[in-house]
Amino acid sequence: MKAQRIYFLVILLILSACEDVINPKLDSIAPVVVVDAWLTDLPEPQTITLSQSQDYFDNGPLEFVEGATVSLVRNGSTEMTFAEGDPGRYVWNPAAGETLGNVGDAYELRVTIGTETYTSQSVMNRVPQIDSIAFRFEEENLVFPDSFFGEVFARDFVGSGDTYWIKAYKNGVYLNQPDEINIAYDAGFSAGGNVDGLVFIRPIRDGINPIDQDENDEFISPYSPGDSVLVEIHSITNDAFDYLNEVRIQIDRQGGFGELFATPVANVPTNIVPTNNQNQVVLGFFCTSAVASMGKRFED
Amino acid sequence: MKLSGFYLPAFVSLTLVLILSQPITSFSQTNEKFTVNGTITDASNGESLIGATVFIKSLGTGTSSNLYGFYALTLEAGSYELEFRYISYESKTVTINLQADQTLDLELSPVAQNLEEVVITETAIDENISNIEIGVNKLDINRIRKMPALFGEVDVIKSIQLLPGVTSVGEGASGFNVRGGNVGQNLVLLDEAPVYNSSHLFGFLSVFNPDAVKDVKLYKGGIPARYGGRLSSILDVRMKEGNNKELDVNGGVGLIFSRLAIEAPIVKDKASFIIAGRRSYGDLFAKAFTDVLDDGAALNFWDITMKANYNLNAKNRLFVSGYLGRDKFLFDANQGFSWGSRTTTARWNHIFNKRTFANFTFVFSDYDYSIKFGEDNVNRFDWNSKIRTLDLKPEFTFFANPNNELNFGGEALLYNFEPARAIGVSNGEITNISLEDKRGLETALYLENDQKVNSNLTLRYGARFSHFSYLGPGNYFEFTDSEPGDRRDVISVTRANNWESIASYHNLEPRFSLRMKTGPNSSMKASYNRMVQYVHLISNTTASNPLDVWTPSTNNLKPEKGDQYALGYFKNFGLGNAFETSAEVYYKSSKDQVDYIDGADLLINEFLEGDLLSGKGRAYGLELFVRKNTGKINGWASYTLARTELRVNGINQNQWYPTRFDQTHNLKLVLFYELDSRLSFSANFAYATGTPTTFPNARFEVQGYVIPYVANEGRNNFRIPDYHRLDLSATWRPKALKKNGEQRKNDSYWVFSIYNLYSRRNAFSIYFSQGTDRIAPGQPVQTEATQLSIIGSFFPSVSYNFKF
Repeated sequence: MKAQRIYFLVILLILSACEDVINPKLDSIAPVVVVDAWLTDLPEPQTITLSQSQDYFDNGPLEFVEGATVSLVRNGSTEMTFAEGDPGRYVWNPAAGETLGNVGDAYELRVTIGTETYTSQSVMNRVPQIDSIAFRFEEENLVFPDSFFGEVFARDFVGSGDTYWIKAYKNGVYLNQPDEINIAYDAGFSAGGNVDGLVFIRPIRDGINPIDQDENDEFISPYSPGDSVLVEIHSITNDAFDYLNEVRIQIDRQGGFGELFATPVANVPTNIVPTNNQNQVVLGFFCTSAVASMGKRFED
Repeated sequence: MKLSGFYLPAFVSLTLVLILSQPITSFSQTNEKFTVNGTITDASNGESLIGATVFIKSLGTGTSSNLYGFYALTLEAGSYELEFRYISYESKTVTINLQADQTLDLELSPVAQNLEEVVITETAIDENISNIEIGVNKLDINRIRKMPALFGEVDVIKSIQLLPGVTSVGEGASGFNVRGGNVGQNLVLLDEAPVYNSSHLFGFLSVFNPDAVKDVKLYKGGIPARYGGRLSSILDVRMKEGNNKELDVNGGVGLIFSRLAIEAPIVKDKASFIIAGRRSYGDLFAKAFTDVLDDGAALNFWDITMKANYNLNAKNRLFVSGYLGRDKFLFDANQGFSWGSRTTTARWNHIFNKRTFANFTFVFSDYDYSIKFGEDNVNRFDWNSKIRTLDLKPEFTFFANPNNELNFGGEALLYNFEPARAIGVSNGEITNISLEDKRGLETALYLENDQKVNSNLTLRYGARFSHFSYLGPGNYFEFTDSEPGDRRDVISVTRANNWESIASYHNLEPRFSLRMKTGPNSSMKASYNRMVQYVHLISNTTASNPLDVWTPSTNNLKPEKGDQYALGYFKNFGLGNAFETSAEVYYKSSKDQVDYIDGADLLINEFLEGDLLSGKGRAYGLELFVRKNTGKINGWASYTLARTELRVNGINQNQWYPTRFDQTHNLKLVLFYELDSRLSFSANFAYATGTPTTFPNARFEVQGYVIPYVANEGRNNFRIPDYHRLDLSATWRPKALKKNGEQRKNDSYWVFSIYNLYSRRNAFSIYFSQGTDRIAPGQPVQTEATQLSIIGSFFPSVSYNFKF
C-alpha cells in the first residue's frame, strides 16, 4: 500500500484539490408532495409512501402525507386498495398465493390527497432468471487490497429495450449508496449501447459489491468468507430506467477532480400526473416490477 | 438567405469597382507608379516579422507586413524615406528612389535588453490606434515567458486568460471562453491547422510549446473574412520558422516536464528548421519508488512540434510544420485512457507579381481519444473516437495601391467524424458497438478590402460566403417533436449513399470594421461581423473534457449563427506613447446554440441528436485595457464588465439564464519589473465574480435516495464565491562572465514562481450530496454542500532554462 500512496501523492501533487463543507443559504419553498411507489410481484406486503419535500439542509425525519386514498387498478379492472398503516405508509397485503400480477399486466396508480387526485401508469415487464453468483479473488491493485468480488450472471432477453434494476443485499443489508444504483438497459448501460441479448456486461455483473473504506480510509475487500449476498433483478419500465439514471447522475457525486466533469443540478423527471390542476407540482415515481432473485453464501 | 446568391456577386462587383476606380482616377492626374516590396525579418535569427510597419514619412501613410513578413507598397515614382518599425526592435529608415519596381528585404534587430528603457523611437509606435483591428489582442512570446505560471511553466492558453474578455470556468478547465462563447466556439489554429483539443493534463497546460511559438493573436471581434467556422473567436498561433543564421538550442527542466528545442539553418539564410519536444515525468519519478507502474500504468504527456522552411527563391517559399502529442492515463497496460492531436501544415508562399502575394495551405489535423477497460480479453471495453480534417486554403493579397489592400481566397474543409469505434466483450461474447462515421464538407469563399479613405478614416469591408454539406454514407434520422427538454425519439431511418448530401446550409457572413482617427494619439473603431459554426463540440459538463465529441450540423442540428457589434476608443499617452489604453463595448446575439436535455446520453449514442436542444444566446460587455510597454516597470491592467446568457426551450422554464462561465466583473493585473539585466520580477493578479451554478431548494426521498429539487427548474440560480489570486515570479540569470572572466557559452536562467501566493481556496464548484456513510433503513439521510477548490494552497515551482 505504501507504493500506492506515493503514486497517489504524485497525482495529488498535480491535482491538489481540496474540499470544504459549506453552508450556503438556500431559498425555502413550500413542501411538495412526493409519491414513492415501486411495487413488485413478490408475495409480500406492497408499500407506497407519500411524503413531502423538505429544505435541502433539513436533515430531520421525513414529513409524511396522511389521510390519502391510494389504490391500484390492474388491467383496467381489478382494483387493489392500499390502506394507511404507519403514517404516510399505504400498504396492500396480498392474500395467500396472491401477487400484484403477472408479466404483461398494466397498472394505473390513483392517489387522492385533499381535492387533488394524482395518477400514473406502469406495466410489469419480463425479467430474466439469475444463472449464478460467483466470488473471485483479485490481487492488490491501485485501489483495493487483496479482495474478493461478487459477480452475478444473468442474460438479457433477445429484443432490445429491456430495462432492469439490479439490487444487492450483503448479509441482509440493502446496498443503498448512490454509487450502488445498478441499472441495465439490455445487457449494458444505455439504449445507444446496442448490447442486446448478452450476459450483463462486467461492470453490471460487478455492481453487487459494496465499495467501503475502513477507518483509515483504506478500501476493504467487498466480501469475505462467511458473507452472504442476495441479488434481485427487478424489471423496470424504460421511463423508470431514465429516472434512475438521472437520479444517479444527480446524487452520485464523488467530488474531487471528477467535479470538473459534472453536469449541472437538474430536476429528475416524474411520471405522477395531477388530474385537476395541471400546474400542481408533484414529485416521485411509480413503477411495477417482476423480480428474479438468488442468494449465495461465500463458503471458504 | 436565399438572397445571398445575389448579394455575393453584387458585393464582389461593388468592391472591385471601388478599388479599380481609384488607381484609374489617380493615374489620370499623376505620374507612373512603381512597387516596392519585400520581406521583413529578425536580424538575429531570420524569423519573419508579422505586423511590422512600413511608414512613408512624406505621405504620413504606410502598410504593415502580413503573416509571412511580406509587404508591398505601390507609389508614384519619386524619392521616399521608409521607416520600418516593430515593437521591441530597433527602427530602421531607408531612403529609396523609386524609378522602377524594386525589392527591399529588410532585417530589424531586437532592442538589446538593457537598452530597452532608453530607446524612444523617432515616431511613436502607435500600432494600436493606427491599425484597424478592434477586439484583437496580440501576445509576444517573450512577454508570455516572463509571466508567473502554474508549475512555473508558461502557457499560451493560460496567458491569454489574462486578456480582457477572456475567461475560464476555473483552474484545471481546458480551453477558454471569449466574450461569452463556450470553449467549442473558439477556432484554435496552430500554423493554420485546427486544434480540436488544446489541453494537456486535462486542462492544466496547453499543447502549444512556447519554445516553438512565434506569435499569438486572439481575434475576439472584427474578425477578418479569411477566418470562419466558429462563433466566438480565433486564436491564431504561429510557429517559429527556425533560426536560419545559426544553431540555437533551448531547453528547460521544470517540476512537471522537461523540454528541448533545436533550431538551425539547413542552408544558411535560405532554409531552416525547428524541432521542439516536451515530456512530463511524474510517472518516471513514481517508477523509482513503486512497482505498481510496472504493469504498464502511465500518467504522462509528451509532444513534438516541428517546422521547416525553404526559401526557394525570391518569389517562392515553402513551409512544412507539424505537431504530435499525447496524454496517457493508464491504470495498467489494458486499462485507462489517452488522447492526442496530430497536425500537419504544408504551405507555399508565392509572389505572383510585385503586387500579388499568395499563400496556399494544405492542412491535415486530427484528434483522437481512446478508453480501454477490462483486465482480460473475456471482459473488455475498448472505445476509440476521432475527428479528422483535411483543409485546403488558397489565399491571395493584392496590394492594389497604398490605400487598398485586397484579401481574397477560399477554403475547403473535409471533416470525418468517428464518434465511436468500439467493442464490448461480455463473458467472451464480442459485440461491436461502433457508430457510423459522419462526414461533412465545409467550403468558403471570401473577399475583403482594407481601404484607407483618407489619413483619418480606414475601412475594412468584406464577406465570407460559407457552405456546409452533411454527407453520406450513413443513416440519418427523423425525430418526434416532443415536449422541449425531453428526449426526442426516432420516427424514421433513411440510408444515404456515399457522398450523398443529406443536409446542406449556406450563409453569407458580412464583416466590417472602421477606424477613424480622432486626434494625434487617439482613434475610434467599430466593427460588425457575422460568424457561422457548422461543427459543434458536444459537452454538458462544467469543464470541457478530453472525451467530448465533435459532431457536424445535420438535418436535425442546425449551424450556430452569431452577430457581433463592437465599438472602441483607443488612446495613447505619455512619452513615446508609453501608455496604450482602450475601451471597447460589444453586443453579441446568436441562435441555434447547442444545449442538452437533462440526463443526456452524449457518448456512443446513435440518436445523439434526439438529446440535443438548441437555443438563443446573447452577450454584452465593456472591456477596459491599459498597457505600458516600455520602462523598467511595465505590464497591463484589464477590466471586463460582462453578461452572457442563454435561452433554451426546455431549460429554466424557457427563460434567459446566465451561462456557467458568466462573470460580471473580471479584473487582471500583469506587472513586470526589470531590476537589472540579470534579475526581473513579475506578478499577476486576477479577480473575477463567482460563476453561476445551480443550487437546489429542497430535497425529497424516493426509494431511500435523497434527491435534490430545484424550484421552477432554475438553472444557474446562484454564484460560487468570487475568485481572486496573486502569483509572483522571479527570473534570475547567472553572471554572463565566468569566475575566470571568460564569457559563458550558454545563456541560462532560473524562474522561481509561486502560484496562488496567499493560498486562497478558490471555489471551482459547489456540489450537493448525501454523506458517504451507510444509512440504516429508516434513518434520516444527511445532505451537505461541498465547495471544491482545484488548487487549494500556494504552489511554488522552479524551472531552469538554458540556451546555447
